[in-house]
Amino acid sequence: MVEYIIRRTLQMIVVFFIFLVSSYLLFNAIPGNAFSNLLLNPNLPPDAYQKVLETYGLDKPLGERVQLYVVNFFKGDFGYSYKYFPKTPIELIAERLPRTLMLFSVVNIVAFYTGFFIGKILAWRRGSKSETWITITSVFSYTVFYPWFALMMLWFFGYKMGWFPIGKFLYPEKWYDAPFDSDVIFSMMIKFTLVVSLLQFFAYTATRGIEALSSRRNIRFASLIAIFIGSYFYWNTGEALARKPYAADIAYHMILPVMVVTIVAFAGTALLTRTTMMEVLKEDYILTARAKGISQKRIRDRHAARTALLPVVTSFIFTIVTIIDGSVLTEQIFSWPGMGQLLLQAVLEEDIPVAMAAFSFVGVFALIAHLIADISYSYLDPRIRVKSQG
Amino acid sequence: MSKDILVVDNLNMHYETLEGKVMAVNNVTFSVKEGESFGLVGESGCGKSSVASTLLQLQSDNAVISSGSIKLDEKELVGMTESELRKVRWNDISIVFQGAMNAWNPVIKIGEQIREAIREHYPSNSKKENTEKISELFKIVGLEDSIMDRYPHELSGGMKQRAVIALALSCDPKIVIADEPTTALDVVIQDQILKEIKKVQELLGLSLIYISHDIAVIAEMTDNMAVMYAGSIVEKGPTASIFSNPRHAYTRLLLESTPSVVGEKKKLRALDGEPPSLINGLDACAFSPRCPDPSDDCKNGNLEMKLIEIEDGHWADQCCVNCG
Repeated sequence: MVEYIIRRTLQMIVVFFIFLVSSYLLFNAIPGNAFSNLLLNPNLPPDAYQKVLETYGLDKPLGERVQLYVVNFFKGDFGYSYKYFPKTPIELIAERLPRTLMLFSVVNIVAFYTGFFIGKILAWRRGSKSETWITITSVFSYTVFYPWFALMMLWFFGYKMGWFPIGKFLYPEKWYDAPFDSDVIFSMMIKFTLVVSLLQFFAYTATRGIEALSSRRNIRFASLIAIFIGSYFYWNTGEALARKPYAADIAYHMILPVMVVTIVAFAGTALLTRTTMMEVLKEDYILTARAKGISQKRIRDRHAARTALLPVVTSFIFTIVTIIDGSVLTEQIFSWPGMGQLLLQAVLEEDIPVAMAAFSFVGVFALIAHLIADISYSYLDPRIRVKSQG
Repeated sequence: MSKDILVVDNLNMHYETLEGKVMAVNNVTFSVKEGESFGLVGESGCGKSSVASTLLQLQSDNAVISSGSIKLDEKELVGMTESELRKVRWNDISIVFQGAMNAWNPVIKIGEQIREAIREHYPSNSKKENTEKISELFKIVGLEDSIMDRYPHELSGGMKQRAVIALALSCDPKIVIADEPTTALDVVIQDQILKEIKKVQELLGLSLIYISHDIAVIAEMTDNMAVMYAGSIVEKGPTASIFSNPRHAYTRLLLESTPSVVGEKKKLRALDGEPPSLINGLDACAFSPRCPDPSDDCKNGNLEMKLIEIEDGHWADQCCVNCG
């Protein structure tokens, strides 16, 4: 396994190198001199302009520039933003990334679970009236033109009903005298979500060895309650208590985008789960499981849905890859100042160092997601488990 | 005389399809005694497996049991609710399916899949007890304990089939149905598995229903047998009696189509034609269109299908008893 990961990492470095060079060349193909934007920046003293020009070799021929860029990149030097001059792309990304991560990890988790659950039920109740209607609804939400749908939802829930805020990720007036940055809250929320999901995962794995099904269920339920109580105490003590209203403000702003994207995104998972699981239900081992006298629910969850999971996870991992680039549309519609907006602005305003850094970030993210996908396969499906060679 | 463990009485089952009712099981009556091995033989599509799935009430959704009863140890299975059936399945009656290759869920370890069955029926057992039980079963069927931690794809066909037998025995059932357990295996392994089943049956005093299209296997494995054709039993009785004195024309042809290793070399006979379509049922003798030398009664359809006792315990369909 270790050997496999090392081999894959080396491959990834090569792929990333190609990705980096071709992105640079593509940006270079944009007409006009992007660098001259820098001259228009009033924050920039003339000698600094000259210095940047020399450091990054911007007056050199293309070949040398690419070389210099790649070398600097691997040194961790991404240059400076042309637009927000003293800031580096890394600073900009560090500010935007938690916002995007928070929003889209919630969206993806919610969409995956709803999709998988609904797909499972659909396959199980095949032929019933409810199945027909839910399938038709899923196909609708899978094929609907997303920007139109998002705007309609925004109009209805935000404007007509007034339940949710229209755009932005917080009420600025609330944050006027806040003693900290919104990023602090975001990273706190991300950490909290991560810890809670990890705890739940451990509770689930640790109880797998318990033989009696009823006590296994009880212990799992108890652990869930413990986690719930634990999080209640966390948010009501010390530092977190002071931050709670701000976190609640962000969470409130998240509801509508999460809901809209989930409605669009769950359908793919649901329809895929439905199809795969209907195949699985025809398999002989489902008949064996029924003959063993196992309960219907357990056959559905443990035997059918578990085996149908693999293709679903594959498609899900590819969705994760689009977290950042796919967020461009969503963030634009909901005025959510995350990575997607940063990317779009950087490209439109030819802020090339920022755009390059953001793109490379997406690239790294995609490569890592694929590696995680490959590793997680081996846990999901023992048939393709990687054997160490030798 | 030991008591009857399974009594199937006048069982009728059909599948509802768009083209009509497919009468898959017609008036099937037989019984299996404690410790007895009972064979069910017939060509593909004659309803053997339909009988097997009906015995466990595992028939597909479009199957309808129109009449008849299945009594397992005095308990009536037809008309039981799903939760009552769940208690009976595996605990009282278990099955070794056709094609062990696909009988295992590919993503769950063998041991866990067996343990799952035991856990369902003996929820108070500890993990250690269950592991000991499986290890004991593995010893009987000739498998190493380490197989428990293997996934199905890591096992050979023969090992999988042995494990399936262990699985079938895991809840100490009163009766085991073996539905063509050797279909997907090569001859050498087939022979091993058959010996294994026979050994287990004698060791544990199990009742066994052995379903096969291979009449030679039935001869080797069973005490009593029934021959099925087009959804009906056409001849039944002690295996020795049927082999020495086959009365139904179909049974005779079935025997003559199998080569014998010893004795003089005979020309094998083949049966012309196809089995009749079972859609909307059959009147009179199902076999007469294919009967090589039908008697007058058979040809004219004078006699309905009805088993008559020819000698002690040996029954045959009256229609074809006198055919060629």
